Amino acid sequence: MSVDPHLDMGTALVNLHKRQKFIYNLKVTGVWVALITIVTIGLWFLKIDPSYIFLHYDIILQGAGTTIAVSLASILIATLLALAGSIARLSSNWIAQGISGFYVSLIRGTPLLIQIYFIYLGLPQLGQRISDLGYPDIGKLFILDAIPAGILALSLNYGAYMTEIFRAGLQSISHGQREAAIALGMTPGQVTRKIILPQAIRIIIPDVGNQFIAMQKDSALVSVMGVWEITYLANHYARRDSKYMEMFLIAATAYWILTIISSYFQGILEKRMAQAYER
Amino acid sequence: MSGDAIVSVKNLHKWFGMLHVLQDVSIDVNLREVVCIIGRSGSGKSTMLRCINFLEEPSQGVIEVNKIRVEITPKTKHHDKAMNQLVRSVRLETGMVFQEFNLFPHMNVLENVIEAPMIVKGMDRAKAIEIAEFNLNRVGMLFKKDEYPLRLSGGQKQRVAIARALAMEPKVMLFDEPTSALDPELIGEVLNVMKVLANEGMTMLVVTHEMGFAREVADRVVVMADGQIIEENKPDEIFRAPKDARTKALIDRYRSGKSEQEKQESAF
Repeated sequence: MSVDPHLDMGTALVNLHKRQKFIYNLKVTGVWVALITIVTIGLWFLKIDPSYIFLHYDIILQGAGTTIAVSLASILIATLLALAGSIARLSSNWIAQGISGFYVSLIRGTPLLIQIYFIYLGLPQLGQRISDLGYPDIGKLFILDAIPAGILALSLNYGAYMTEIFRAGLQSISHGQREAAIALGMTPGQVTRKIILPQAIRIIIPDVGNQFIAMQKDSALVSVMGVWEITYLANHYARRDSKYMEMFLIAATAYWILTIISSYFQGILEKRMAQAYER
Repeated sequence: MSGDAIVSVKNLHKWFGMLHVLQDVSIDVNLREVVCIIGRSGSGKSTMLRCINFLEEPSQGVIEVNKIRVEITPKTKHHDKAMNQLVRSVRLETGMVFQEFNLFPHMNVLENVIEAPMIVKGMDRAKAIEIAEFNLNRVGMLFKKDEYPLRLSGGQKQRVAIARALAMEPKVMLFDEPTSALDPELIGEVLNVMKVLANEGMTMLVVTHEMGFAREVADRVVVMADGQIIEENKPDEIFRAPKDARTKALIDRYRSGKSEQEKQESAF
């Protein structure tokens, strides 16, 4: 077997390209470090109290656990809602289409904050009325604690947006896939489960990751119900000690770090999903 | 149903909105017969084929496959339970091969072929693999059984698609322009596989632009134009002495373009 005499040149070019890319990434990282340094020095000049931050960051860590738990539970339920919602949106059943269309329109048309108030403060009012009518067992179901109410609101809200994401994902699978499957005798349910969904999920996953990242920050809104997550605790201590800048700095950093971690896992998941599609 | 016809289409009509794309089409295919349907684009030949396994809903007419009779009138409810079941039983008698292959990209070759026998027929995995390997071997694709479709050439994809349809052990194979999406140098390998199937006695209904294949392999050639069957006969008769002017135009066009193409086609 003859060896390509220009093989060395190819190797050299690949190495050069790798080195250039490494140096470029180093420069970008440098800009990040510089920006963070400038902000830190600026805050120092403005007499931010760093010792307060070092003494109180653990408070925020306690809140981070709640934030993560609420977000994870909500994204899970929202995913199930979106799955059902998108299949209903694409079905030829008029009841399913009516319900799912109404759900998406209503939720996307109203602010999340109002939805939270509605579920936490509005529903108990209905529950009370039902109890008064003589059904206290049913009435009780309408009175939710802060955390379940928060999870319910976030799930319903994100479920609506994700219904549209799932719908687009399902629709992006070529019609030929469905035809090939039904020509083989598969039922509509089998076609969706075995052929369409597995392909759509690969397209949907990055968007679900984005939604999860967005939700971690939207979960700050459940602080209005007194859930002890990051924002509530930051607010609480900031008011008590009049250290607003310090406390919210820690809170913001905590959210930021959570987002970076989530993005990292999102990347891993995407790589795994692309397996069958790599040449 | 006349004689031993395994597919029988009677007085089939199809409207797309206000467009009357199939106008009273009738055709019988006998057991072990190879019928090629030729015609210009838009003549309704693909629509007719797709009506046989109800990928298109016929507007009116009778479709009968292996003694399963489906009569369609304008009042037929296409999605009620009884109709769905009837249509599915027709689909189990027919294998379909598409222009665009439509392999499932998330499954490897073997999984593509065993999926339907397992979930539609409830076959156990070992038996399904046995049948899949037999059929992949038949189309010369067993050596790629662990590959994903993305890594196959067009011709290889189409051969796997043929094996996938065969694995359901259909009574008749429907081919919808199986080589139209292929690079010229890959057409031969697919036509070769189809020829082998024809020689084995598979009943085949082939919509094609490959006149050479039609002439060589078909027992009968059906010519369609403007939503109607304008002529049908033995291939020699059609190609030597076309009766309809439109058939003559179609064949002349093929002859004039053949000098270049024939070199490729003679590969099979």
